[in-house]
Amino acid sequence: MTKQLTKWTFTALLLTLFCTLFPSLTHAANQEEFRIGMEAAYAPFNWTQQTDENGAVQIQGSKEYAGGYDVEIAKIIAKKLNKKLVIIKTEWDGLAPALTSGKIDAIIAGMSPTPERQKTIDFTDVYYKSHLVILTKKGGDYAEATSLADFKHAKITAQLNTFHYSVIDQIPEVAKETPMDNFSAMRVALESGVIDGYVTEKPEALTAEKANSHFKMVEFAKNKGFKTSPDDTAIAIGVKKGSPLRQEINQILGTISDDTQDQIMTTTIDRQPEENKKEIWVLKILKENGGMFLRGAGMTLLLSLVGTVVGTMIGMGIGVFRTLPTPTTAFKKALNKLLNGFFTVYIEIFRSTPMIVQAMVIYYGSAQAFGIDINRTVAALVIVSINTGAYMTEIVRGGIFAVEKGQFEAAEALGMTHRQTMTSVIIPQVVRNILPATGNEFVINIKDTSVLNVIAVSELFFQAKTVAGSNFRFFDTFFVVCVIYFVMTFTVTQLLRRLEKKMDGPDNYIPYGNQMQVQKPEASAKKEG
Amino acid sequence: MEKIIEIKNLRKCYGNNEVLTDIDMSVEKGEVVTIIGSSGSGKSTLLRCINLLETPTSGQILFKGDNVLDQHYDLPKYRTHLGMVFQQFNLFYNHDVLANCTVGQIKVLKRSPEEAEKVAKENLAKVGMEAFIHAKPKQLSGGQKQRVAIARALCMEPDCLLFDEPTSALDPEMVGEVLDIMKSLAESGLTMIVVTHEMDFARDVSDRVVFMDQGVIAEEGTPEHIFNHPTKERTKEFLKRVLA
Ligand SMILES: Nc1ncnc2c1ncn2[C@@H]1O[C@H](COP(=O)(O)OP(=O)(O)O)[C@@H](O)[C@H]1O
Ligand SMILES: [Mg+2]
Repeated sequence: MTKQLTKWTFTALLLTLFCTLFPSLTHAANQEEFRIGMEAAYAPFNWTQQTDENGAVQIQGSKEYAGGYDVEIAKIIAKKLNKKLVIIKTEWDGLAPALTSGKIDAIIAGMSPTPERQKTIDFTDVYYKSHLVILTKKGGDYAEATSLADFKHAKITAQLNTFHYSVIDQIPEVAKETPMDNFSAMRVALESGVIDGYVTEKPEALTAEKANSHFKMVEFAKNKGFKTSPDDTAIAIGVKKGSPLRQEINQILGTISDDTQDQIMTTTIDRQPEENKKEIWVLKILKENGGMFLRGAGMTLLLSLVGTVVGTMIGMGIGVFRTLPTPTTAFKKALNKLLNGFFTVYIEIFRSTPMIVQAMVIYYGSAQAFGIDINRTVAALVIVSINTGAYMTEIVRGGIFAVEKGQFEAAEALGMTHRQTMTSVIIPQVVRNILPATGNEFVINIKDTSVLNVIAVSELFFQAKTVAGSNFRFFDTFFVVCVIYFVMTFTVTQLLRRLEKKMDGPDNYIPYGNQMQVQKPEASAKKEG
Repeated sequence: MEKIIEIKNLRKCYGNNEVLTDIDMSVEKGEVVTIIGSSGSGKSTLLRCINLLETPTSGQILFKGDNVLDQHYDLPKYRTHLGMVFQQFNLFYNHDVLANCTVGQIKVLKRSPEEAEKVAKENLAKVGMEAFIHAKPKQLSGGQKQRVAIARALCMEPDCLLFDEPTSALDPEMVGEVLDIMKSLAESGLTMIVVTHEMDFARDVSDRVVFMDQGVIAEEGTPEHIFNHPTKERTKEFLKRVLA
């Protein structure tokens, strides 16, 4: 019965694995595609929405759509190139690696052609020019500022790896905060009062102001604001170094006049998703994004379940391998030693580095070094599995150690081989021994797979970031997600408790004879007679 | 009489510690041999060397005339001919009573599950545990566990059963039920080697008593000889202590 059940779960898991793998096979490089990368969370340049309203384009591998100034420009370029536009949602820090590793053809993401960036990628001509402003809180200490000097002592930050951050030093006696990953995070920080403001570009500030009535944009007069180089405030399209695409795109950009650019920008700012104050926020968030959360939660569960199951199998494999009696031939001895060394290195490396770093190295590294373009979900499954495997190996070791020596001896004394002893006596007991720790690993995975948002896997946290990036209700969105995480982990913990209880069975036993007296009176009568 | 087990010049060392020295001993078919001696004298080690749970340092062990220490000897097969009953029972915790008795038959003897179950039920009936076939080990008392462990060993239809202090871990009121079963097994003609502190059992049931002291067989003979006319000083001292 239980055997059949495990078989079933296993088949189901394999199936899911295949289904997630399959899209990667069908998405083999198509010549007619123009693949562009963007955050889809940097309004008004790019954002995520739920429908194709206002000419939004579907995001690859997702049910969501991308809209914004960048999308409009990308559409024009794709049309003139006579290629099919494919939008690949990518984290800001992942954009350049995605381009150099060939996962995308161009970056159209409101990116400025700074000299540093030009070291690794090429930029086309400018397709938008903006200037820097500071977004602050309405009615706050700095809301009425007109010059940089007015921001004395203000806690100011900007996005990591942007020139926005370096210009903060131009504010006299500023309290420069650590840079943040993305605009969502900065808006949360601003709304909650952690910072007094952040440096941004006018379109983004306008958007934020429009979406959240607590924000106020501070603009500076001509010579009272930040001094910037034209490279910085200009926005251009990034392409691979030496790519012929640059010439082709420049030609197309030449046909879009400054007036047209302004016009597109004005209309996109108007079209942005807006907030509606009358509805109850939880309901509104659930209604608008329930599907996204559900898919995110599903992905999170898939990642952590497969990761835990595969990780446990890896741990079990290595753990059992290490119980093998020392081989007799020299060759086998050497092989044994080699494998053992390999396992040790594997365990130590994966236990001593953060999963978020492993994800970056494996996902972008495999593309850059070997030219393999792994499907994001597959990459995430692999990362969680081998990461969990490293931990499970140690847990299994403890689980084997906890089995009494007498169990091995009794099996041996019956004439069982090592393999028979392991499969019919030891491993079942190890499974029971490691069940609590495995459950714990599962719960940890549910939470820790959130770091995989760095490789843009659409798990729950990534979905939440996307939602918050477009609705600007950071606390509300993350609160809902917090509850979803809790419900998932709590349910899993309870289910595992039950499983443990069921496996252990009751402490006392009603002998078969007593039941027989009830069920088969004639049999017991015979016995007594 | 046919010799089942013959031990010649057996030595066992743990590092520099020699725990068995020049053991010579043989067991004939149908014989019940008890091994007595104070704790630490090497009784368990000797028993465990016989079924090769421990590898002897030197010497010979012949099973029906064949040297089992020979490189090419089929060790798992040899072990099926010897059953072992442990002080701590060592029932498989992941299996119920019935499966404890069938797993060896199915995996090692390659019997069909049906046949294995039939044999298991017969042997469980012999030890009075047929009513508990679906109980898990943790649901049983010590005496019940040891009876199941004996049934498990019997299911393999061994030529000889080895017992290592089978009643030492039991509460006093449970010792009797296990000894009774061992007694009836002895009467049925089964060959047995029993390490025990139960002097009554040694005297009344066994054909031969082996007294071990500090890794050597100090004296051996019939129960009558060992218990009533011991010749060695060490034997007398030991008996005086345990029978007091
Ligand atoms: N695995 C082992 N490693 C080292 N010494 C051992 C080991 N097993 C037993 N000994 C030693 O061998 C001697 C005999 O032990 P044992 O055969 O268990 O005695 P008995 O069963 O008669 O009480 C003891 O001194 C014990 O400490
Ligand atoms: Mg002992």
